[in-house]
Amino acid sequence: METYQIYSITSGVLFVIGMGGVFLSKHFIKKIIATIIMGSGVFLAFVSFAERDALSFADPVPQALVITGIVVAVASAAFALALARRIYQLTGEESFTIEK
Amino acid sequence: MSVLIDSLLAILIVYLALQCLLAPRLTQTVFLFFAFGLALALAWVRLGAVDVAITEAAIASGFLGVLFLDALRDFSFITSGKQESSDAANHSVSKKKPAFLSLPGVVLVLGLGLFLLITLEAVWKVPESGGLTAATEALLPESGVENPVTAVLLNFRAYDTWLEMGVILLGLLAVMAVGGIKIFPVHRKTPEDPVLQQVILFFTPILFLFGAFLLYFGKNGPGGAFQAAVLWGAIGILLHLGGRPVLTVIPRWLSQLLLIMGIGFFLMLGFLLLAGGASLFEYPPSYAGVLILIIETLAAISIAVTLVSVFVHLNQLNKEESN
Amino acid sequence: MTITELFTVILLVAGCFFFLAGTLGVLRFPDLFTRLHALTKADNLGLGFIAAGMALHIASPWAAIKIFSIWLFTLLASSTSCYLIARFQKEKNPPKNRKEEG
Repeated sequence: METYQIYSITSGVLFVIGMGGVFLSKHFIKKIIATIIMGSGVFLAFVSFAERDALSFADPVPQALVITGIVVAVASAAFALALARRIYQLTGEESFTIEK
Repeated sequence: MSVLIDSLLAILIVYLALQCLLAPRLTQTVFLFFAFGLALALAWVRLGAVDVAITEAAIASGFLGVLFLDALRDFSFITSGKQESSDAANHSVSKKKPAFLSLPGVVLVLGLGLFLLITLEAVWKVPESGGLTAATEALLPESGVENPVTAVLLNFRAYDTWLEMGVILLGLLAVMAVGGIKIFPVHRKTPEDPVLQQVILFFTPILFLFGAFLLYFGKNGPGGAFQAAVLWGAIGILLHLGGRPVLTVIPRWLSQLLLIMGIGFFLMLGFLLLAGGASLFEYPPSYAGVLILIIETLAAISIAVTLVSVFVHLNQLNKEESN
Repeated sequence: MTITELFTVILLVAGCFFFLAGTLGVLRFPDLFTRLHALTKADNLGLGFIAAGMALHIASPWAAIKIFSIWLFTLLASSTSCYLIARFQKEKNPPKNRKEEG
C-alpha cells in the first residue's frame, strides 16, 4: 500500500467524521471544530494526491492551495467563534435550540 | 516499515478527531483539537509537504487553538466551579444520545455511513493526472526563489495569495463588526506573575528572530510569510496576555497602516506591472527574488498584526460589560 | 553497526522509555500536581535523550545546535506552563493533604 493511499482513505474518513460532527454535536464550539475537521479531510486529500504526483518534490500547486485554504479556514472559524461568543453573551445560549 | 508508521499515524488522526467530537467536556474537546492539529502536521511531513506542516501547526493548531481556549472562559460551565460535575451531564453528546436513538438520528447515521462509502470509493478512484509538478519545475528558475511552494504562492499564483490576505482582513473586519471596533486598554487587578513576565520577555526576541529566519529561508527551504506571521503574531498575543497590550499603545493610524500594508503594496505592485505592459503580478525575472522578499516581509507584518487584532477583539468580547 | 549508531539507538530507546513513563504517569496519577510532575519532568528528559540521539545521528554541528535549542525552548516553555497551571489550580482549590506529607 502506498503512502498516499493510506492518507487519501484517512481524508475520506475525516471528512465524514467532521460532517457527522456538524450534524450531531450541539455546542457551538464543537460544531466549529467539526467544520475544521471536515476541512482538514479535504486538505489531506489534496496533499495526498500531491504526493502521488511527486517528481523531485511533491506537487507544489495543491500544497500552496492548502496553505491558502488553512489560513482562510482559520479566518472563517475566528468569525464563527466571534458570532458564537456574542450569541452566548446576548442570550446565554450555548447551542441552537430546536423549537418543539 | 513506512506503511506501519503511516497507518498508525492515520489511525491516531482519526481517533483524535472522533474523541475531539465525542469528549464529554468542552475543555477536553479543545485540548484534543490541539493534539489533532499536531498529529495532522506529522501527516503533512510524511506526505512531503513541510510548508503545509508548519502552517498547520502554527495557524490551525496553535492560533486557532488559542482562540478556542480563550473562548472557553466565556461559556459558563468552565469559569464557575459548580458546574464541574454537572457539565458532563448537560453538555455531553455521548451520554444522553438523544440524536442517535431517534428515527432521524438513525437515518442520519445510516446516511453518513453510505456517504463514507461513496467518499472512499471516490477518493480511491481519483484518476492519474500527472499534476503540475513538471510545469513548476520547468519554470522554477524564473521565479526568483528555490522553494517551489513559495514560488507558487508568491509568483505563479500570487493572485490567490493576494486575495487570501484580503480574506484575512475581511475576517478581522467581521470579528470587529461583531465585537466592537474599539480596543479597550487592559485593566488588571493583580500584578502579573513575575515568572510569566520574564519568560515572555525572554521569548519575544527569540520568536522575532525565528520568524525572520522562516521568512528569509522561505526562499529556498520550508517557511514563508504565513509561518513567520504567526510567530510574530504570537509575540503580540504573549505581550497582550502578559499585560503589555501593544495594540492599544501604538496610534490608531499606525495600526491601520500596518493592517493594510501587505495587501496595499501587493496591489500597487500589480498596478505598476500592468502599467508597465506586463500582466498582473508578472514580475520581471531578474527582480523577482527581491520583490518576493519585500512582499513577504510586508505581508508577514500585516498578517501578524491582523492575527493579534483578531485575538484581542475576541479576547475582550466578554469583558465589555465589566468596563 | 558502527559505535555512533549504537549510541544513537541507546539514546533513542532511553528517550522513548522516559516518554512512556511520563505518559503512564499522566494517565495513572491521581491529581493535577502529580500529573504535571510526570508530564514535565519525565517527558522533558525523554525529549532531551531523543534530541541527543538525533544530534548524534545527523552529526552536523549546525543541526545539533538547532536541535539543542529546540530542547532548550521546550524546557523553558513547558516548565513555565507547568508553573502557571499549578499556580492556577492552587489558587482555585489548594491541595489538602500537604501537611500530613510534610
